Amino acid sequence: MNVDSGLNLMAACYGAGALSALLARWSGRLALSVGHLATLAGAVVGLGVSLSVLLGAPGRTLTQPLPALFPFARLSLSVDGLSAYFLLVISLVAVAAAVYGPAYLRTYSPDAGPARQATQVLALNVFVGCMAFLCCAGDAMTFLLFWEGMTLASYVLVVSDDRDGENARAGLLYMVMAHGGTALLLVAFLVLTERAGAFDFAALRAAAGDLDGTTRTTLFFLALVGFGTKAGVVPLHVWLPRAHPAAPSHVSALMSGVMLKVAIYGLLRFAFDILAPVAGPLPSSWGWTVLVVGTTSAVLGVLYALQQHDIKRLLAFHSVENIGIILIGVGLAMILWRREGVGGVLATVALTAALLHTLNHAAFKGLLFLGAGSVISRTHVRNMEELGGLARRMPWTAGLFLLGAIAISALPPLNGFVSEWLTFQALLGGAGRFHGPAGLVIVFSAAMLALTGGLAAACFAKAFGVTFLGRPRTAHAEHATEAPPSMIVGMAWLGALCVALGVAPGYAMRLLDAPTAGLLHGPGASAVVTARGPMVLSAGLTASGTAATAISMTMVTALLIALTAIAWVLRRGSRRGPPRAAPTWACGMSPTSRFDYTATAFAKPLRFVFATLYRPRREVIRETAGTPYVVRRIHYAGEVVDLAETQIYHRVQRGISSLSQSIRARSTGRIHGYIGFVLAALFVALLLFGVDQ
Amino acid sequence: MSAETVRTIIDDLGALLLFTMILILAAGQIYRAIYAVAAQSLLIAIAAAVLATATGNTDLWVIAGITLTVKTIVLPWVLHRVVRRMNVRREVEPVIPVAATLALAVMVVVMSFHLSATLGPVNQAITGNALPVGIALTLLGVLVMATGKTALNQMVGLFASENGIFFTAMAVTQGMPLIIEIGVILDVILAVLVMAIMVLRVRSTVDADIAGLDRLKG
Repeated sequence: MNVDSGLNLMAACYGAGALSALLARWSGRLALSVGHLATLAGAVVGLGVSLSVLLGAPGRTLTQPLPALFPFARLSLSVDGLSAYFLLVISLVAVAAAVYGPAYLRTYSPDAGPARQATQVLALNVFVGCMAFLCCAGDAMTFLLFWEGMTLASYVLVVSDDRDGENARAGLLYMVMAHGGTALLLVAFLVLTERAGAFDFAALRAAAGDLDGTTRTTLFFLALVGFGTKAGVVPLHVWLPRAHPAAPSHVSALMSGVMLKVAIYGLLRFAFDILAPVAGPLPSSWGWTVLVVGTTSAVLGVLYALQQHDIKRLLAFHSVENIGIILIGVGLAMILWRREGVGGVLATVALTAALLHTLNHAAFKGLLFLGAGSVISRTHVRNMEELGGLARRMPWTAGLFLLGAIAISALPPLNGFVSEWLTFQALLGGAGRFHGPAGLVIVFSAAMLALTGGLAAACFAKAFGVTFLGRPRTAHAEHATEAPPSMIVGMAWLGALCVALGVAPGYAMRLLDAPTAGLLHGPGASAVVTARGPMVLSAGLTASGTAATAISMTMVTALLIALTAIAWVLRRGSRRGPPRAAPTWACGMSPTSRFDYTATAFAKPLRFVFATLYRPRREVIRETAGTPYVVRRIHYAGEVVDLAETQIYHRVQRGISSLSQSIRARSTGRIHGYIGFVLAALFVALLLFGVDQ
Repeated sequence: MSAETVRTIIDDLGALLLFTMILILAAGQIYRAIYAVAAQSLLIAIAAAVLATATGNTDLWVIAGITLTVKTIVLPWVLHRVVRRMNVRREVEPVIPVAATLALAVMVVVMSFHLSATLGPVNQAITGNALPVGIALTLLGVLVMATGKTALNQMVGLFASENGIFFTAMAVTQGMPLIIEIGVILDVILAVLVMAIMVLRVRSTVDADIAGLDRLKG
């Protein structure tokens, strides 16, 4: 596909989708269908554009000027390998969300008025369109405009369900955090544009070449905090577990699966492409900070996810974890890139792992959010403790959710395993290159990654088991029925992606060639990672003396299938006589759903182990009838705290409110006094800055 | 006109402007302050006309005309009307004694001359002492706002302060682009109109002036 016309077509699709909100004047349902159809069309065009760039001639950058809106900045779009790769990630999830969306919105809130439906359609198209074009931005102005558009549109979606006051509060927190981050990004970009005298990335690159080390590092850390706020790294993640669950589920899938990745795109573009020194490695403080931040986010994200009983909140915390895993790869690539004696191909392996995990996480987290959405649309309950037994009632949803759960737990043969395995290879390879404390940090990071994988598996054993297995705990769960086919199709699309990326990951390396080679100016992904055919993964560490490690995902899959088949046959063979149905023996009581494991109980051992981190609080109230031996009712309440929230945010909050209290106590409220202050301040400023010159 | 003559005229006009400012600061009745500010605007219109003949910049004629009609006639008339409509005591009630205000004003003027002596390059313009006078007028306008108890005083102060800014800009740059000058004038017109309406409305609903605003404090 011709990329220029592809981009125009994509803009037309999203624009038409946004305009289709007007159809809600006549029929809200019509607006929903047409709007989502337009999103689907835009995403399919986006897929075409990105694939044609990724599989086309390497190293090509396409630039397309945009209409001049501002006298001081030329706006343009520019698509290279990295842009195209993230456009691919966005479009893949957007396809699923667009297919899934209309049915979800209709079943979840059948009483929604046309006004809300119009808003949702408009905001969805603006949101996806802004993300898609953000990755294709060719200058800082376009980038920031689309960045802001993305934030505003997602805010509208977060607060679009206005029946719940909690959503408005989540939206406000999101808005404040997002704009705090954007402010830092603005500073970082404007310092560069002011030096460059222009806004396009090429000019910024040239201007960044003349920066001294301190300025460069300061700008990087500004951008890291700015992008990190959007990506939800610990401790800037507090908005994420509130805002993501508040949005409609297919939007949650987009926010968690894609929007966070856009921040990763920004970080990669800013650090590797624009701000990097002309020659030589990146300053070492960058990579190590990103590595440590990534490791912290991964571990804390999954630990907090374990204690959540709201299914969408749990998934949102897992996004913090996965962003952490991606940042581990990014940080390692930053450390190793162009470093004499240690870098080489290992940096490419690390970046490949990060980018592959970006795609993989988009696929399985999208799938999980859509799965959670179909449960919620049928039961209107987000708390797992009130669900249960859904596997019989919603078999397709359960199966696909299980698929996503296996993928996110990094179990073979699905895609989560592949990228985490690659991250491990890069970490272990990197640990061998550094000695002393530096090597230790990398080894520690690898150990934490392993812990993260294990905890994620525990978390999803809980999430899947409590939601789908056992008996229904409430009437909501008992009367649930399977989701409509279009929602199943949306989930199945992402499920197929998880399987394909897991079983034949070698093909994905082909897609990663252009972004890795373009960003690192070194060998592409497939030159380093796949050695023997598309089925075999082999991290090419041989060049620097370590033995290569190889794994064939296809063979692993075949082996697993064969083992399952053998176990099944053996079990069948050993069975004597026909199966016999009998009631379960429960000491004379009849078993009820209250006998099942609850989510709280399942997570209890870990709550004990990590008690210093969770600071759990619990409260048990017994109601007895006269004697302590007859218990009428037990009321249990427990909660864990988010350390970042209590230790950082609450303190800041208290500080600000006590400061403003004291200002209020001291201010007179007399306007003459204030004008006098202004006059005095003017005077002092003139004296200080006027006389010195 | 030679550059020397222009400089002398502008210096003299600056002295008169300062004098009108002192009149505003020391005015015992609000009417006098309004007349003084109108006179001040008239002087600025004359200064614009003088600069226009000296530099041959026709834009300055336009500015002189606008200043004359708007600032010398229309806005003082609006203020006058407000005072009549409000129908309250017309004595100025200073926050601090007039003598103290005048002492502060002397300090401000001395300081402005001291400051502008350090701004060498700006002083090279043909307009002599226009810069320190402009700075002094601007700051003294704020002083009027700070010491007046009623909203009307503050309107007059804003008006005077704006005159100072206008004078500085005109004298130092010998005429900014016309569009900017007109923009500044429009700003003041709008500010005064809005404030006039606000004052009348507030007065008619709650019978309070800005001195009572501190009751709003939580």
